[in-house]
Amino acid sequence: MSSGKAVGLTVGFWLVAISLLHATLNLGLFAPHKPAVAAPFRVGFIPVTCHLTCPVTDFINKQLTGGSEFEPVRFQGWPELKEAFISGYLPATFILAPLAIRLREDGVPIKIVYLGHRDGTAMVVNRESQIYRIEDLLGKTVAVPNRFSNQKLLVVKALKEHGVPLDQVKIVEMAPPDMPAALFSKAVDAITSGEPFMGQAELDGYGRVLYQAKDVWPGFISCVLAVREDAIREHRDIVQRLVDGIAKSGKWLDQTMDHRMEAAEFVSQYYYNQNPSLLRFVLSKPPDRVKYTNLALHKNDFLEIEALAKDTGVLKGKVTFEDYTDTSFVPLDSSIQPYAWDYKTTK
Amino acid sequence: MKKSILLPLSVLVAVYFLWDGAVLLSKSDIFPRPSQVFFAIVELIQRGLLLKYVVASLFRVSVGFVLAVLIGVPLGLLLGWFRSAFLAFNPLIQILRPISPIAWIPIAILWFKVDDRAPIFLIFLSSLFPITVTAIAAVQNIQPVYVRAAQNFGVTRIDLFKRVIFPACLPQIITSLRISLGIAWLVVVAAEMIAVNSGLGYLIIDARNAGKRYDLVVAGMLMIGLIGLLLDLLVRSLERFEEVKWGYSERS
Repeated sequence: MSSGKAVGLTVGFWLVAISLLHATLNLGLFAPHKPAVAAPFRVGFIPVTCHLTCPVTDFINKQLTGGSEFEPVRFQGWPELKEAFISGYLPATFILAPLAIRLREDGVPIKIVYLGHRDGTAMVVNRESQIYRIEDLLGKTVAVPNRFSNQKLLVVKALKEHGVPLDQVKIVEMAPPDMPAALFSKAVDAITSGEPFMGQAELDGYGRVLYQAKDVWPGFISCVLAVREDAIREHRDIVQRLVDGIAKSGKWLDQTMDHRMEAAEFVSQYYYNQNPSLLRFVLSKPPDRVKYTNLALHKNDFLEIEALAKDTGVLKGKVTFEDYTDTSFVPLDSSIQPYAWDYKTTK
Repeated sequence: MKKSILLPLSVLVAVYFLWDGAVLLSKSDIFPRPSQVFFAIVELIQRGLLLKYVVASLFRVSVGFVLAVLIGVPLGLLLGWFRSAFLAFNPLIQILRPISPIAWIPIAILWFKVDDRAPIFLIFLSSLFPITVTAIAAVQNIQPVYVRAAQNFGVTRIDLFKRVIFPACLPQIITSLRISLGIAWLVVVAAEMIAVNSGLGYLIIDARNAGKRYDLVVAGMLMIGLIGLLLDLLVRSLERFEEVKWGYSERS
């Protein structure tokens, strides 16, 4: 046999072998019990507490009915999630509120149908720093998750209310997972993003909370559930069940502290791959650090976001609340019952 | 002990103690010590993740790289041989070539969504251009005496390609395979930033999400380095074949 043939054969053999291994180990193609779900409805999320109702809904659905028509798809960062949403891969996703509105302004056919949470954001500074009041941020550098994040608008609101000129504070974009290390190494003076990354800096001892979202902006909204219009047209029933599921999970999470601790357990293990103690911390210290009730869409909340976003050039102001939301899915708050499910029955 | 083992080994031992000492001295709570990285690797093995992730990354690199070879080598040989094709396509190739695969990530997600195809596409791109460009140059630099001699024997065009041009270019092509496989492996981390849920690149990004797991980050880096070394040794072994040696000795 010539060496050319030998190389060809070896390469061919290698390709077949590595593909089979990949299919078995990672794609689960040869798994014996492949659930026969007809094209599950994908819902994008990022492992932050703002999106916690997504995995909770999925997990409880699976526990109650043995399957879920939703497939939570985890992303690592906003740009990738946004691109998957624009391309139509994700019919629905949890997404930053101003980012969703901006996509609508740019002509992407999406609607905000529900909120994902309230509050759940903090600003953390280095414990040794001399920053004790919002005024002390003058001349400092603050990291925010994204230019289209409500966390950025929250900083702007706080600075405005305390008379700090915006051009005297440097705001930089940074992926939330990198923020605790950046604060530790003093690369930035303050960090702000959704949990659990702020809790991380606090828990590890080098971070000190400057403000919680609720101190600056009561009822703060960072992320919303947005759905593509084609999915709304073709799968109204599924979207409705998703919204209902999120509403029920929210009520379930806010029902008792035990539920939150249980959620910390299974979400960190099966969805977020984070340390359960970290999620336990941010879901309980203090208990209203993040909330999952009162998720209906209220025009006034969004008018406030719009006003701040237009001021800072994040939004152009081309679309109105009526354009970018579809409130028809929002359930009547009094009619929402928490999931009737006991964690101890987990299979 | 042999010098070729003793020297690198002592460097590695020195690096180990410098690393450990630096972490201890700086009292860093975040940067992992070498021993923590070792236990992180053990943890990955115990959870069955290491094999899964190595396989996933190797799969993507293998498919992307082999596709790049299958397309890049013939394309390069043709463009190197046919002058007008070269004139037509070379500017386009030169424009696309310097674009980092990372810059293609947004486009890759839009085109291929977020399954295995997107990272494979990025790895394919990263290898395609170095291979094509080297193959073009290799054909263009063939000593004319080879071609004329073959033509004097009256060989057909196909035979000329198979028996003269291809073998004469092979040493350079293999060198470019080595380099581009290195690049492909380099790109795998960036390629797996896309929402795939396996692979060594994913391991690093996931560890960032997991809070303070920099031991896993460094473990992922270490595994990427070690496997990269193995891949390089593997491609190097191609250079031992008789057909390739012909090229080296004749061209020296």
